[in-house]
Amino acid sequence: MSILIIQILNSLFYASVLFLIAAGLSLIFGVMRIVNMAHGTFYAVGAFVTAWLVGRAVALGVPTVWTFLLLPVGAGAVALLGVAIEPLLRPFYRRAEEYQLLVTFGLLLILEDVIRLLWGGLPLSADPVMDLLPSVRIGGLIYPGYNLVVIGIGVVAAIGLWAVIYLTKFGVILRATSQDRRMASALGLNVALVYVSAFAIGCFMAGLGGAIIVPTQTAVLGMGIDALILAFVVVVIGGLGSLQGALVGALIVSFVRTAGIQFFPEIELAVLYLIAALVLLVKPTGLFGTA
Amino acid sequence: MNQPSTVDRRKFLGALGVTVGGTGLAGAGLMAGPQVVKAATEPAKGKIPDTPFRTGHMTFFTSAAAVLGEPSHKGHILAAEEINAQGGLLGKRKIETITADEAAGTDANVKELRRMKLEGKIDLFTGVISSGNSPALAPVAEELGILTIFTDGCTDFVFDVADPEPKYVFRITNIQSADGITAALGTAQTWPNVRKIAHIHPDYSYGRNAAEHFTLAIERLLPGAEVVSESWPKLGTTDFTSHITKAMSANPDLLYTSVWGGDYVAMYKQALRYGLFDKMKVATTLALGVAPHAIGKDHPEGVLSGVHSNYYFTYPGGDRWPLNKAFVQRYYKRWNEYPNFQSEGAYVALYMLKTAIERANKLAGGWPEDEAIISQLEGLGMDTPSGYIYIRPDNHQGYKDAVTGFSKNLPDYPFATWDPHRVITIPIRNITAPAGWAKPGKGHNESTAAADWIKKTWPKATG
Repeated sequence: MSILIIQILNSLFYASVLFLIAAGLSLIFGVMRIVNMAHGTFYAVGAFVTAWLVGRAVALGVPTVWTFLLLPVGAGAVALLGVAIEPLLRPFYRRAEEYQLLVTFGLLLILEDVIRLLWGGLPLSADPVMDLLPSVRIGGLIYPGYNLVVIGIGVVAAIGLWAVIYLTKFGVILRATSQDRRMASALGLNVALVYVSAFAIGCFMAGLGGAIIVPTQTAVLGMGIDALILAFVVVVIGGLGSLQGALVGALIVSFVRTAGIQFFPEIELAVLYLIAALVLLVKPTGLFGTA
Repeated sequence: MNQPSTVDRRKFLGALGVTVGGTGLAGAGLMAGPQVVKAATEPAKGKIPDTPFRTGHMTFFTSAAAVLGEPSHKGHILAAEEINAQGGLLGKRKIETITADEAAGTDANVKELRRMKLEGKIDLFTGVISSGNSPALAPVAEELGILTIFTDGCTDFVFDVADPEPKYVFRITNIQSADGITAALGTAQTWPNVRKIAHIHPDYSYGRNAAEHFTLAIERLLPGAEVVSESWPKLGTTDFTSHITKAMSANPDLLYTSVWGGDYVAMYKQALRYGLFDKMKVATTLALGVAPHAIGKDHPEGVLSGVHSNYYFTYPGGDRWPLNKAFVQRYYKRWNEYPNFQSEGAYVALYMLKTAIERANKLAGGWPEDEAIISQLEGLGMDTPSGYIYIRPDNHQGYKDAVTGFSKNLPDYPFATWDPHRVITIPIRNITAPAGWAKPGKGHNESTAAADWIKKTWPKATG
């Protein structure tokens, strides 16, 4: 029984991070109609920046409790990076998708090398943050307390994002711009500003995903590519551009993956893609997607 | 001869020569030591061109495998610089190196090898870490006629199936099947009461090979041992929480894993938080085989920490084997970090080449043809930092005694290292198939010659 509870918690933990990345990807696509291939690498940058900041803080003697606050700082840094990069993408908004894919893929390659240039090939860890929270007993087993915080952050992020998009004026503007850019512009909205904001929020989400996960594993080269592939599977299942889709897709991907690992280990490599293929056959736009 | 006999386990382990020993002085510190790099004692015979000798070195500079692959390049460069400081090969030809990032993928790597030979005009190809790449590159190297010394990519498949009668291709690190068998012997020696074993392996050729050969050996050493849980995470996975939970749910006595590099760092950190190391013993094939400083002091102690059966920098230690102490010092001075088995392998590869060229020159004078170098490499034995190495002529595979050890935190090093009193060494000929043993497809359908050899010749232990 405790194994079941722990595996459920493991799935929710994994889903929280997947949701953050996939929601950012969906938001950027929903508003700007850009498929951001570099999105996984923003996640990786978030992880590296946070791990590096934690390392520096500990080296400077900062009490470990405050290092927890470095997590949103890491995410914020990625948002700033997004703001800096967005102008480079402007010429491609109205072009065919192939151009966007190529440009953002090029961005992915550049960022991966920048990460390697800045931080080298060795994995960076942020253990002190994870050690802040004790492990909890569940039945006869123990579960890291920090993972529960990650699940909490995922829930807060989902609610927060929904609130911003559906309950605030800024959210109305975002939705209007995504539905009809020309009309929004004709009504006097500053579309360029909306685009930058959407991109920044999307990058913030990805960076936050990286920041909250790095204490539980390490920041390694190549983590961005893995995350990107998973994010794509999630949005294929949930529907690109839909936030409910990102949430539901993340939950499905995560629970199916954990069930596969627990019960059918040989299938682990294939199971996610089988689900994606199934969804594509039955509902090609994804569960919550629109054409 | 067909019926496996039974034998007492302790006697069997003794017969296999599984010995537990000490490394000698734990500190391979920066004290002055003898310079063991011998300059050629006599000048080279005949006319030697003074054009540079161009080498191509392919390894992982990016991706999570960089912690394993980058040291290979560093060992290669150290050897090249030392040889060039004496004037180069045969005192006349300086070694130049061009590099390629193995992370590009197998197809791209094959193209890169061709480009290196045809455009880059290399005389020697070295490196290659991944067992996904060496079986693709070996036949191409033979076709191009380029002298090749792999520093890893140790899969049995290369010389069993892909390139069974190699001419130009050599490999300097121990054959892959030795890894699983070494871990099995270490386990049976140290924890003979283990019966329930959980497996976590990356789902690719290395993981499958490590699992298979460990199980073949452990069936014969600890009869009654069974596999109670299996997990096959993708290579590059960073979230092992579900795999760890699954393994723990089966209540095993031992977790056996061949996860390595950045994946292993993530896995052990996560496993610590789940209390896995308190509930079971852990045996690994490659935990401490990466660049030594990659494994922090939070790594639990007493884990069977494999090094791909090849080399760990503290063993042999102290003054007992000066070659190692001097090598580690020079490597540390050059790179400000300690070497791993890839560094030692790449370093030895160039020195092996140098020795073969010098011997060929002494016999025939002038710069030796590739055929002459090859004939000197075959059967070549040498003293190296890791011990004695022998290149077996039939399959061009390097053989050196297998080693493994147990993790421990020592005050001398800011990272997890080996317990100096518990190093396990195994004579390599006791855990690898001998020359002439039938390869897969020639009389049997086992995945490797080693698997067939174990099944046909190892007895089952009792007691």
